Amino acid sequence: MSTHDVLTWIQDSALAHTISKTDHLVGAGLQIVHVMGLVALLASLVLISLHLLGLAFKHHPTVEIAKESTRLVWWGLTLTALSGTLMFIATPTLYFYNPAFRLKMVLFFVAVVVQLALFRRAANQTSPTPSFAKVSVAVSLAAWFSVAMAGRMIGFI
Amino acid sequence: MSTLMALAEQIEASSMGVAIAESRYAYPIIEGIHLVGLSISIGLIFLTDLRLMNVFLKRVPLQDMLRHLRPYVIGGFVAVFVSGGLLFWSAAARMLESPAFIAKMLFMVLACINALYFEFVIAQREPVKQSHSVVPSSVRYAGFASLSLWTLVVVCGRLIPYLPS
Repeated sequence: MSTHDVLTWIQDSALAHTISKTDHLVGAGLQIVHVMGLVALLASLVLISLHLLGLAFKHHPTVEIAKESTRLVWWGLTLTALSGTLMFIATPTLYFYNPAFRLKMVLFFVAVVVQLALFRRAANQTSPTPSFAKVSVAVSLAAWFSVAMAGRMIGFI
Repeated sequence: MSTLMALAEQIEASSMGVAIAESRYAYPIIEGIHLVGLSISIGLIFLTDLRLMNVFLKRVPLQDMLRHLRPYVIGGFVAVFVSGGLLFWSAAARMLESPAFIAKMLFMVLACINALYFEFVIAQREPVKQSHSVVPSSVRYAGFASLSLWTLVVVCGRLIPYLPS
């Protein structure tokens, strides 16, 4: 069974038909959930970053702010991943061969690795060194913003 | 309305409008900037709204939340308005006919009125100015109104290509 056969099989499944053939507003609804999840994810990361860099809430312990904001990051990630997976299931052959989609998935993988290896460590420390905080924030935000940019390009490429 | 439409058609047909619409990369890149900019500006507003509603970062003083995030909210909005202006330039006539676009603009005006009312009336009250832990319930309502209105702005914006004009 080739990759294309698998993709076609997914595309012809009952779930895929439910999403793609019911009403075009189902797809629009998924897009809306995807955007709102992304906004929650990025904004929470920006908030933690500003605090890590000492640009906001300087007199507050970082760990406390990071803890509450990370919960929102997870909510955002759950919403985007769920809606994104459903969109992919509806038309996998459209996405799989799209260069912007492939780039987005690579960048997403990079962003998650950076998140776990750098950002999370910096945010969990009571007082990370300024240079470690700066590098973690710069690399992490650059990765996530690139995911968003590449994602936005899928429909145009 | 017809003069407005004629003007929109002229804007769209200008060399700049045509250049954006026809360029292979310009349009999607501007869309990307619009998305990233709104994630920062509207996203940080959402977080501020949750603080006003007293469900997020309760221990951070209200004034810190408002003051420290303001430059980034404004910076994000600059990116959103510049990119949004360019997108409008390339499809002005189509936008004026789009019900989702009109609704988006309407909700944006309401969100701005709410923000101004909060800034110049509610936030001027002493308990808010001094970041008291107990603030008037109008603060909560303003946060909820902002959260709802900006959500509607994002929803209507995303619906522009889906709703037929």
